[in-house]
Amino acid sequence: MAISESEITREIECIQRVQQGDGEAFGLLVERYQQRIFSIVFHLVRRRDEVEDLAQEIFFKAFRAIRSYNFQSSFATWLSRIAVNHCYDYLRKVRASRLSYYSEMTEESSRELERKLESPEAGGLDHGEKITLRDFVGRLLARAPEDDRVILTLKELEDFSVEEIAELLKLKSSTVKVRLHRARKRMLGDLERWRQEG
Amino acid sequence: MDCKQIRGLVSELWGGELSAEAQEHVSKCAGCEVFLRDARLVRAGFRALAEEAAPEASLGFASRVVRRLQGWEEKAARGEFFEAVGRRFIYATLALTLALLLSMVLPTSGPVRGVGSADFLGLQADSQSLQPDVIGGDIGDSHELYTGRLPD
Repeated sequence: MAISESEITREIECIQRVQQGDGEAFGLLVERYQQRIFSIVFHLVRRRDEVEDLAQEIFFKAFRAIRSYNFQSSFATWLSRIAVNHCYDYLRKVRASRLSYYSEMTEESSRELERKLESPEAGGLDHGEKITLRDFVGRLLARAPEDDRVILTLKELEDFSVEEIAELLKLKSSTVKVRLHRARKRMLGDLERWRQEG
Repeated sequence: MDCKQIRGLVSELWGGELSAEAQEHVSKCAGCEVFLRDARLVRAGFRALAEEAAPEASLGFASRVVRRLQGWEEKAARGEFFEAVGRRFIYATLALTLALLLSMVLPTSGPVRGVGSADFLGLQADSQSLQPDVIGGDIGDSHELYTGRLPD
């Protein structure tokens, strides 16, 4: 999200007002960043019915913690970090239900998936095929360990660069690269096992 | 190149173009071919997932957050007030109880406490039994009330 210098100045003033307890000023920050947070939450959690509640909780957490914000990273990064951590905790809590969600996959959709796996590179997919593919990768993501899920989502769905992910997760860029590589490998390995089991 | 190396490379390139050497291995190895195809499929799946738009924040979301925050702050402030009052009440009760216990444990006479304080704490009856007889000298002396006529 590229913003001009005057916008940055206004944002800093706004943050300082919130740090002094101005709730109305916080409303401006919520308006500015709500869609970004909704997107992160949706892609990480993948439950439309939960997105708004989780986003609200994230903004509450941000408000409570805003006095500790020291302007060292951008506010967007700081807020996104809170969102990612909050979703990470949520994913850990719902781990059991995610596994059952996967096992409830119908035979019909499994066959459909198998058919798709036999298809060549999915370039010109129609709407129905895209939905199947989306469902399939969504399920693979749901099966993945939380760490893999977070890093893959930030890279593949939120389109963050390795450097941005490193700043967000407070890791070195080289660590992010290694984790990303491992996460992809694990996901493909998981898919391979899944196909063998099927 | 062996299968392990190929899989590492496929994961790294995420289904992207392989070198000629790697490609040659894949064309001869059914397992690696499936692995590469899966990688391309998963990557395409991620693209399809990324296209899926996140839900929009409902109208007035920011105002609701602020309103709830203000409500939460008021509640927190009320909570703090009652907590402070409650804490003072508990301290006062504890202090009174301690004073009462001390008054029961400490000796009721002696250099620290005299008749006056014993009276104050309602221990007058007990303390009187321990006091020297101020009319007739030592404890144990009897004093009978003379009811007869006085000699002329």
